[in-house]
Amino acid sequence: MRRSQGLTAAALLGPATIFIAVGLLAPLAILFRYSLNSFVAQTKTMVEALTIQNYITFFTDPYYTGALGTTVKVALLVTVVCLVLGFPLAYVVARTQSRFKHLLIIAIVLPLFVGNSVRAAGWMVVFGNKGFFNASLMGLGILSKPIEIMFTENAVIIGIIAVNLPFMVLSLQSVIESIDRAVEEAAFSLGAPPLTMFRRVLWPLALPGILAGTILCFILAMNAYATPFLLGGPLFKMMAPVIYNEFTQKTNWPFGGAIAFILMAVTLSLTIAANALLRRRTAA
Amino acid sequence: MARLDIDRLVKRYGDFFAVKDVSLSVADGEFLVLLGPSGCGKTTTLRMVAGFIEPTAGEVKLGGSNVTLLPPWKRNAGMVFQSYALFPHLTVAQNVAFGLEMRKLPRAEVDKRVEEALALVRLAGFGARLPRQLSGGQQQRVALARALAIRPDVLLLDEPLSNLDAKLRQEVRVEIRELQKQLGLTTVMVTHDQEEALTMADRLVVMNEGTVHQVGTQRDLYERPADRFVAGFVGRTTFLSGTVANGRFRTDGGLDLAVAPSSTGGAPGKAALSLRPERLEIAPGPIAGLDNDLPGTVEFVSYLGAQIDIHVRLSPADRLVVQIANRGGFAPEVGQRVHVGWRASAGQVFRE
Repeated sequence: MRRSQGLTAAALLGPATIFIAVGLLAPLAILFRYSLNSFVAQTKTMVEALTIQNYITFFTDPYYTGALGTTVKVALLVTVVCLVLGFPLAYVVARTQSRFKHLLIIAIVLPLFVGNSVRAAGWMVVFGNKGFFNASLMGLGILSKPIEIMFTENAVIIGIIAVNLPFMVLSLQSVIESIDRAVEEAAFSLGAPPLTMFRRVLWPLALPGILAGTILCFILAMNAYATPFLLGGPLFKMMAPVIYNEFTQKTNWPFGGAIAFILMAVTLSLTIAANALLRRRTAA
Repeated sequence: MARLDIDRLVKRYGDFFAVKDVSLSVADGEFLVLLGPSGCGKTTTLRMVAGFIEPTAGEVKLGGSNVTLLPPWKRNAGMVFQSYALFPHLTVAQNVAFGLEMRKLPRAEVDKRVEEALALVRLAGFGARLPRQLSGGQQQRVALARALAIRPDVLLLDEPLSNLDAKLRQEVRVEIRELQKQLGLTTVMVTHDQEEALTMADRLVVMNEGTVHQVGTQRDLYERPADRFVAGFVGRTTFLSGTVANGRFRTDGGLDLAVAPSSTGGAPGKAALSLRPERLEIAPGPIAGLDNDLPGTVEFVSYLGAQIDIHVRLSPADRLVVQIANRGGFAPEVGQRVHVGWRASAGQVFRE
């Protein structure tokens, strides 16, 4: 009996484990090995080596550290805004008794049906200097010259928020739904006004969803490619487009690999740090 | 503690009246139970007293002051929820302390009152546990301690025993009732369980479809039900339908029955006769000295241990239930010819 259970478990876990091993861990390992190689720019070839020169180059060149700084800043901002915008929305969806609840959920998920690049392209049409938004306002005489929206950091931030918000809302909604409405009422009846109730009851109970949502949102923002590429323009640098550039334009695999690993390490450590901080805050 | 007055309270959702025109008063220290089937408006009424639902019309007064428009956190009403609604992330002591911290009491006072409240519900020493580490009965007592710790003006209990198993429920009933008397708590409880209601209440309110049918003591409701609904809802009864005329009750099956003279006044008309099963007598032959004595056939017998229910057909349209104590005496069987008798005063007539 026990033996057959073990076999069943192995059969259930096996395919996914193999897929992750072959599809994720192996390429990562190879990429990491590449990141320790060196690169000859003239011949555009990779030379077998064991050096951390690529990592040193990254951290000593302001161009690259600037891209990392921008990426972290944008990702943090996006995550905070998504949480602030997403919580009330998730709360309403979780608590509504309306029979149109499923429509609400579909409406939240609907933007995900459009790919990031298609959506970014749409934004370009609407928010360009000669786009729909500026043309309309100027045509109505409200503006004398166009508002610079495209190719700014703000455009990228707004763009990524729009992409990530559904993930945040769905993570929060499922957790809020599992919180008994009566505990909120219990807090009220014991004398807690709404804000106190939120801080002492709803926030700590929703914390698993808050963590899941912020982690998801932060990782997606750190790795955003299409949105910063299309909405940020040629001068705006975030990590994912920079990595892409190293691999495809410069064919510098060792350096590309190194940047990829730096992005991954930074994302991971910030996520873990934020996680620990949030948990400590709530425990206190 | 304080008295509670509910004055002409109404809650309307669109065309639907969840509560229509309910007025009640609960004296200082009184235990009032709202009893009724689900959807009768009892819970809506309680939630309006707690402040979770805003009334469409009417007033709620607590200790003489109008709290109708106050939010729940400004009312000082202690509530025990059906699901207990303990804060799962806080320990038992933190749960009980919550309301005291909201009142900004000094730490020492909070700790003292938490200890008192837990001792009151016999959970001293459980303060450090989390709610999920307690049994259902213990969680229920924590919920009670949490509501009592704030020294509320009124204690509100929303089906507080429905999640406990039957045996525990009987113990907790008595426990809550003794605590309520000892502390002199003004209490309103909502329940659909009439045995629970009868055991615990000083006075009961029978509600149906958003209105109050009767307010009274256990005895009032059982002996002098105000209408057919109350007679049917509180305790068990058999209704025979028929007409009242000339001081007699004539059933649809053609039986001519003597009834209490007080209930037959006015014009003749359709009516129902309510007969409590335990007020009827049953014998193998004619019964002397009773106002009504009718032959019938036993159709169904349910043996319940201490008592036996016997369903007797008196006419093609009339069947009633007789309950006898199981004293080892006469025990009729299905198909047996018997006589059923009762005093006129045992029946109650409700005009339709």
